[in-house]
Amino acid sequence: MSRPTARLPRATLLRVFWRCLFLQAAWNRRGMQNLGFAYAIDPALRRLYPDPVRRREALRRHLCTFNCHPYTAAAILGGAIHHEERVAAGDEASGAPLEYKQVLQGPMAAVGDGFFWAGLRPLSGAAAAVGTLALGWPALVAALLAYNALHLWMRWSLFRSGYRSGDAVVERVAGLQLPRWARHLRDAGALLAGAGAGLLALRAASGVGVAAGAGTLAAAAWGWMALSRGARLLPSAYAALALGVAVALGLAFLRGGP
Amino acid sequence: MIAVDYLVVAIVAGLAAIERKGFLQAMLSRPVALAPLTGLALGDPYAGLMLGPPLELLWLGAVNLGAALPPHEALGAAAITGGAVLAGRALGTGVTPAVAAVTVALVAALAVLGRGTDRLIEEWNVHLARRAEALVERDAPRAAVRANLYGLLLPFAVSFVLAPMGAAAAAWLVPPFLRWLPDATVPLAYAWAALGGFAAAAGARAFRSQRGLPLFASAAALTAVLGTLAGAWP
Repeated sequence: MSRPTARLPRATLLRVFWRCLFLQAAWNRRGMQNLGFAYAIDPALRRLYPDPVRRREALRRHLCTFNCHPYTAAAILGGAIHHEERVAAGDEASGAPLEYKQVLQGPMAAVGDGFFWAGLRPLSGAAAAVGTLALGWPALVAALLAYNALHLWMRWSLFRSGYRSGDAVVERVAGLQLPRWARHLRDAGALLAGAGAGLLALRAASGVGVAAGAGTLAAAAWGWMALSRGARLLPSAYAALALGVAVALGLAFLRGGP
Repeated sequence: MIAVDYLVVAIVAGLAAIERKGFLQAMLSRPVALAPLTGLALGDPYAGLMLGPPLELLWLGAVNLGAALPPHEALGAAAITGGAVLAGRALGTGVTPAVAAVTVALVAALAVLGRGTDRLIEEWNVHLARRAEALVERDAPRAAVRANLYGLLLPFAVSFVLAPMGAAAAAWLVPPFLRWLPDATVPLAYAWAALGGFAAAAGARAFRSQRGLPLFASAAALTAVLGTLAGAWP
């Protein structure tokens, strides 16, 4: 499905991209991201459909239920504009953009959730945490800058790719091999969290005492076991706090002090 | 000054709630960034740098997958940091591990409350969607799409109200508690250390890596050993 010429000026595309950063502003249980999608694509529809009746029809189809990962949705937004251009030119039926969205939203959500939400973002969070513990605020700033440079570049690239290539964006996204990268990111994240446990233990040892450092590592081992057996996060966190107090009191008792 | 401090916590938490889901999602509302930002806004960025890493690891798995709602880690982080800074200031000690441990115990449940409010907001946003559809039918497309931005107001308002309430609870209760039990300082420092270890394990589990346990355990052991050899462990 080729596209002869780009109809929309770059300024309009930039406006759409800016608005797609608000995709989830009014996430709702009925249409999910429908309002955000309509808000984002509206500048393009205004440009493509000077006739208010056709514009209203186009807007109505983009108010249908839509839900995707907020980053990878940029590709679908770009592709939807690609199809709207063809609809406006009379090359496609008016249902094509909606069909495109419905087909792609599930797979794109799965790719985005797996790569960004379960891989890159927690990895960046762990890197920022470990960097802050080891090197202080410059490492935190560096981790945030790196994450945002990459995520914004990918959002823009996906949007542009969807706009330029329409249905072919699927092959482009598949070519990125994001699920394979996600597996590596998850391994690296577990490694970084371990380094975080070690650094927190060192910090406790130097600030409170060697026993506190050892307690940090013991709590990490206990936490892993408890969570792998299905313990809930917040009650387990309270249990960890209580265990820390109990260990300190036990040590004080053994030493014969208060 | 105290009223200004609570206003600062409210604004930072409100903006973080918007960034968390409604706009951008650039990790600025993650605890590792938000705790130092809240600390900085209250004049104590180092407290935020102390609190941010363990809170980030604790809530590393707090992500919005599909329609599932995670705990509101941004609300929790802003309230904990605000409460700890104000409690430490009242005690004259700054944010110590004991202050941090008691504040987390007191305020962390706000993150779960925040998840409940998120659910209510998503229900409420259905009204916005219906309104937008009605406006399209009444030939007011610009007003219809603008309804999307009104969805930012409630998340801001909820965190604007709840975060300073959590911070106030800590600022009022933590100083008298620690003055009443001065001997609790060391046990509470142990509690903070234990929470750090647990948080790291929770963070590692959040990755759901098939090789997670050996990677986590070996990295923890290696870091501790290398740190000891480098003299970080006394």
